[in-house]
Amino acid sequence: MRSTAIDRRTFLTLAGAAALAPGAAVAPCAAVAGEEALFIGARLNGGAFEAAVIDAAGRDRLVLPLEARGHSFALDPARGRAVAFARSPGRFAVAFALDGRAEPVAIAAEAGRHFFGHGVFTPDGRLMLATENDYEAGHGVTGVYDVAAGFRRIGEFTTGGVGPHEAILMGDGRTLCIANGGIQTHPDFERVKLNLATMEPSIAYLDVATGDIVEKVGLARALHKLSIRHMALDAAGHVWFGCQYEGDPADRPPLVGRHRRGREIELFAGPEGLLRALDNYVGSVAIDGAGAVLATSSPHGGVIAFWDTATGRSLGSRPLADGCGVAPAGPARHLATSGRGAIVETGPASSRVVVAEGDGLPAWDNHLRRI
Amino acid sequence: MRRLVASAALFLAALSLPAAAGPVPDDVGVNIADGFARPAATAFMAATGRMRADLEALCAAPDAAALAGARAGFAGLVSAWGGLSVLRFGPLPAENRFERVFFWPDTRGVIVRQVQALLAEEDETVLDAAALAGKSVAVQGLPALEYLLHGAGAETLAAAEGGHRCRYGLAIAGNVERIAGDVQAEWAAGAAFHDAFADPRPGHELYRSPKEVAAEAVKAMATTVQFVRNAELLPALGDSVDAARGKRAPLWRSDLTFALVRAQIYAVAGLADASGFAADEAVRRPVETLRLDLVNAGDALGKVAKPAEAAFADPADRDRIRYAALALDTANKTLGGALSAALGLTMGFNALDGD
Repeated sequence: MRSTAIDRRTFLTLAGAAALAPGAAVAPCAAVAGEEALFIGARLNGGAFEAAVIDAAGRDRLVLPLEARGHSFALDPARGRAVAFARSPGRFAVAFALDGRAEPVAIAAEAGRHFFGHGVFTPDGRLMLATENDYEAGHGVTGVYDVAAGFRRIGEFTTGGVGPHEAILMGDGRTLCIANGGIQTHPDFERVKLNLATMEPSIAYLDVATGDIVEKVGLARALHKLSIRHMALDAAGHVWFGCQYEGDPADRPPLVGRHRRGREIELFAGPEGLLRALDNYVGSVAIDGAGAVLATSSPHGGVIAFWDTATGRSLGSRPLADGCGVAPAGPARHLATSGRGAIVETGPASSRVVVAEGDGLPAWDNHLRRI
Repeated sequence: MRRLVASAALFLAALSLPAAAGPVPDDVGVNIADGFARPAATAFMAATGRMRADLEALCAAPDAAALAGARAGFAGLVSAWGGLSVLRFGPLPAENRFERVFFWPDTRGVIVRQVQALLAEEDETVLDAAALAGKSVAVQGLPALEYLLHGAGAETLAAAEGGHRCRYGLAIAGNVERIAGDVQAEWAAGAAFHDAFADPRPGHELYRSPKEVAAEAVKAMATTVQFVRNAELLPALGDSVDAARGKRAPLWRSDLTFALVRAQIYAVAGLADASGFAADEAVRRPVETLRLDLVNAGDALGKVAKPAEAAFADPADRDRIRYAALALDTANKTLGGALSAALGLTMGFNALDGD
């Protein structure tokens, strides 16, 4: 059923992956989440797009070729599975085993939909949910996929907004929190932003069991061009998010916020100079291993800023040129990647270079995720 | 010819300066502001004034000649807009000015739907430029004006029955003229944005070094080149003759698609010239490569024979458009690759095009 809809290039790419599986590109002993810290990110390596699982020392543990630029991942570490998504407005996703032992499965976007690049598995591993664009109607949907049925798409729910980007599952395991970035795009026009004048970003909570939007919050009218894009959960179960500002560059609004269910959104600006350094753009967010420190990366500004999730207080920043991927590495520690091949282990207290940037290294894309 | 003289003068001036520390000229901001932005803003301002005068004449004495005059004025306005539209930073994108002048692409057909509704109701509130400014971006800019001048029912403009339609067009011209005035004012010497851009310094809020200014300019050039290729040409071209859809191109009703696109392409070349980047020995080569590709793309589109609506499905014209798209792709790669590298700009994978 699904094979008929799969893009030919995805098939060819996957056929290549399968052929490589016993060889060097896929380490046979790789990658199920155990005690060892493993991370996954999309990257451009010698002209080829791929997803790569690495360890804390930056060593490749599994490499999966992708037909085009990837973005982020849905992860199901308990069952050793992940889905790599195409970057918007891509139409491919690939489900694969983190140990590289099973053949990857291509998931083609539904007709009239494309992926936005983010998704989650439900805790029972039964469903996979992906943010998608119903681009003719111009609104966001969550695609619902039956994992056991070979990732068959069994339906979709509205996200209650335009341009949904990252979605995360709340602690209850059944509420999906979605960042409706508010930016309308249409794949015929690539990534052109069609509605900057009328954006209305929001955070929506969707009951996965019913499809109902159970809560939705927006920003003050003056901040309607502040696109809410990436999110993470802290130890208290509150949602932290990072934004990208589409308004006048001189405005420099706060880019980092918290939402606690049933309350208004709170925004945190940090000390003078930090917003200038972030340059109206947060590319990725991650909470540390203890759930207490938020990292927000800005590839535009070449910095990673840290925040205390108890108070919203700034904990300073660390430079990383073209740095974007951030993932928890331990208490108050993050692993971060850059488009110039750098991998650093970083945090408010110190930063340590794991792999120094350099020509010829894989260029890490926007997101790094802890498996 | 005048441009040639100006750029030669610029080149000599650059040579006589003491050697700069890096490949980015110290005066890149003032070069672009005064050598490109201000002339482009002034030209657009003048074209909006002519458009308003043409429509005043048409509304006062509607006939075929006056309608032809207004359509000619619109063509001039589109070319001037093409020149200005490269400036995707500073005053033009601020306060939704870009979208208010040129809301496009309109993937859901909002412009025609809303404009038709306003015409059918003979809505009086669209006859005042100031009131129009507060309405939907779809009904107050050049695509809406194009529909009035060239869309269904446009022939009524040549007679008294088109009175409401004409005065609505006049209000759009007035609205766009105000926007042009605001943009021009902010690019004028002494205005906050002009001075921030022309004189970047450590401690300044917007631009702290000539390099940041250069990065802004290169980004704007790359964005324009990508927009022209990916949004204005390729969706209408389609993968095959059967998939060609001329009506997806901007301004197909007035057959000004290629006039717009060419003005934008040449404006990118003009911006590169004005920047003074080529004064540095190592930067000259990529600037020349860029220039060649842009001129080739523009010239190929200048040879398109059929009206835009039909050209995208015409084999010979398709070849010209495809060639232009290829040259634009090369130009984009030069901007992000060789030119950025030669200028010492660090336009990373993530910073250049994040999500």
